[in-house]
Amino acid sequence: MALKDKCPPRQPGKKSINRSDDAFELWLKRGLHQLFDDVTKEPVPEELLRLIEEDRKRTK
Amino acid sequence: MTNSFHDEMIAILPRLRVQALSLTRNRAAADDLVQDAVCNALAAQHSFTPGTNFSAWMHRILRNRFISDLRKKRETGNIEDVPASAMAGSGAHEERLVVKELVEAMNRLPADQREALVLVVMQGMSYDELAAATGCAVGTAKSRVFRARRQLATWLYGEERDISTVELRGAVQRLRSRMEARPAASV
Repeated sequence: MALKDKCPPRQPGKKSINRSDDAFELWLKRGLHQLFDDVTKEPVPEELLRLIEEDRKRTK
Repeated sequence: MTNSFHDEMIAILPRLRVQALSLTRNRAAADDLVQDAVCNALAAQHSFTPGTNFSAWMHRILRNRFISDLRKKRETGNIEDVPASAMAGSGAHEERLVVKELVEAMNRLPADQREALVLVVMQGMSYDELAAATGCAVGTAKSRVFRARRQLATWLYGEERDISTVELRGAVQRLRSRMEARPAASV
């Protein structure tokens, strides 16, 4: 189902616009988390960690 | 240089990966970008003043590296041509139509707006932090997030007319480039 079908139709008046905006904000936040959470949870590549640790030893 | 510099760098890596992905829209390119930014930061670590905002310093290095790479890549190709399927999301996520719509809409946003939206809405940065991380004025940071939100809302559940105009324009451009690429027919 497309997003536009899930969201309430736009109605005239401030309150309904706010409700619509809130729904959009919530949906956006949820969607971005779905897109990017995997990346934040993935283990950091070993090569990258090694690079940092080698530099740590070198600059000690 | 104290050890905390390296500890802070390791701690910020997941957030840098999100920023890199929001800019590049491609996992492999994002990993390369993070690695390059880390190398740059390690080389420039003596220019960092302990006690100042490490997160902003690191995000700025990554962003500058992205811009510098983008300039070089423009000589051979356009990064904006990366297909929607290249951006984020595992196969399971891609199956969800609503998320796919978001991916496609995010891909249409300019890189600076996409980055601003992800850093504020998803990573919870304040406008002040975004401004520091991207090296711009707070007003510019606010404006980027506002324009990104408004544009996404228009594309996703606002005016059908706008989205079909964009799609039509894209189809015309694709058709035109195919016609131009086709060798001239012999008579």
